[in-house]
Amino acid sequence: MIRLVHVELLKLRTVRSTYGMLAAAALLTTLDAVLIAAQSGSSTRPPLFTAAGLRGPISTIGFALLLSWILGITVSSGEFRNRTATLTYLAAPRRGQVLAAKAIAAGFVGAVFGVVGVLLSTGVGLAFVAGDGYSVALGGTTIADYALGAVVGSALLAALGVAVGSLIRAQLGAVVAILLWGFFVESTLSNLVKGLGSYLPFTAATTLGGAPLATGGFGFPNSSSASPLPFPAVVVLLVGITAAVSALAARTTVTSDVT
Amino acid sequence: MPDNNSAIEIRGLTKRFGALTAVDHLTFDVPAGNVVGFLGSNGAGKTTTLRMLLGLVAPSAGQATFRGRLYADLADPLHEVGAVLEAANFHPGRTARAHLDIYALAGDSPRSRVDDVLDQVGLTSAAERRVGGFSMGMRQRLGLATALLHNPEIFILDEPSNGLDPEGVRWLRDLIKGLAADGHTVLVSSHLLAEVAQTVDSVVIVDHGHLVTQSSLAKLTAQAGMVVRIRTPRAAELATALARDGITATVVASDRLEVSGATPEQVGTLAAERAIPLFETTTDAPSLEDVFLHLTTTHQEVSS
Repeated sequence: MIRLVHVELLKLRTVRSTYGMLAAAALLTTLDAVLIAAQSGSSTRPPLFTAAGLRGPISTIGFALLLSWILGITVSSGEFRNRTATLTYLAAPRRGQVLAAKAIAAGFVGAVFGVVGVLLSTGVGLAFVAGDGYSVALGGTTIADYALGAVVGSALLAALGVAVGSLIRAQLGAVVAILLWGFFVESTLSNLVKGLGSYLPFTAATTLGGAPLATGGFGFPNSSSASPLPFPAVVVLLVGITAAVSALAARTTVTSDVT
Repeated sequence: MPDNNSAIEIRGLTKRFGALTAVDHLTFDVPAGNVVGFLGSNGAGKTTTLRMLLGLVAPSAGQATFRGRLYADLADPLHEVGAVLEAANFHPGRTARAHLDIYALAGDSPRSRVDDVLDQVGLTSAAERRVGGFSMGMRQRLGLATALLHNPEIFILDEPSNGLDPEGVRWLRDLIKGLAADGHTVLVSSHLLAEVAQTVDSVVIVDHGHLVTQSSLAKLTAQAGMVVRIRTPRAAELATALARDGITATVVASDRLEVSGATPEQVGTLAAERAIPLFETTTDAPSLEDVFLHLTTTHQEVSS
């Protein structure tokens, strides 16, 4: 199993798309955080010298999480898009183990996306605070909690992406579906049904990184008055969703013909 | 029961895709250490059979095993079986070396093997190029390099000469001959019969998912109407002797006869048993394409 995980990590290291998605996550996170920080103190956003104001740019990890989720999808659906599944299953005929190895490997790389995202969003937030001559309104422990949450959330979404990509093998369709889901569907549902957002995977993951409910981690206006689930509950929720979708994907993967 | 000397056993293998039966109760063996050609026209069921053998496609009925074990049950599949299934099996953005590094790691073989097989298939100079820019022939070579990486005992090659230029086809032929000389078992599929004629010990011919025949090439050509021309001073006597064995022989001159439905070996042995001297033996063999068409046409007529 350890060798299988190493194989999957080597696969990710040897294609440019991994680095391209990481670069996109870094760029979009930075731009989003700068935009949010620049708007702070306006009529729509609290100023950066308040905890709520600083939380805005620091928690804009939505793009990092979304691209981590998409990375997970490409890890599994890419095998069918590029017709590499044949060689993968020749090397490791026990397909359930391959799926697990992919989820673990994607989780590791997803965590890297989370680290990069949170370093940049936090860096932008603190740079604006320093530039304006304010003191840091959030405690070190809170910022560390947000950072840990972003990394854990990103890793879990990547693992979930592997399961989703195994179920929806049409890669382009799966990626478009996830983009729509992350940008619009969850935010809309969270705003429509009070409390529902806490239980939706992407929104739940963004709350780990400190994003208020229904903002999608992109800094969208927050119209939800519900509270997010506690950190351990979100982790259990995401692990549960990933396990359920993975079990479904494993059944499909094991029984389907590779032609 | 599987033959103990068989490296591969196919037993009643059947695959149905909805209403289409791609492979229908196929049964044959591949003896260990032999090179067997797996022949049939496009759509005959060759690739589906090989994919079932390799655990990629689930059979509707029957079983395909390596020494009695399913591919998924092999302890170390990459070290036991090397397979080349199709040219488009590589991530286009990965270099040839990176692709082989991955499969060296997957099979726990040293990375030095990567350089060895790149050299063996003539891709050393293209090692750092992305596979997306490879020609089909180069992809075939990379597929063969992947199969060779762990030096397995058995090779499954599905149309390995597709996309190869004439020089590449010759190289492939030499490669298969080398594998045979080293005692490897090779099952190589092709729809071009002439391509495998120089390398195989025997052939398995399939048509519309059915087994047509499994036989040596010599026996096959005899079956398909090979004519043996004999020059002997006792032509009439030899013709009579052959007729007693049920072999048709026509005396075309006082010292010449033509024999059909028998191999030169059969005619020579019978003549030797009767002390009939043979001055000249030639064969008028049909082309392999003729043989294939003869067999598949006969099979279709019988089936219908």
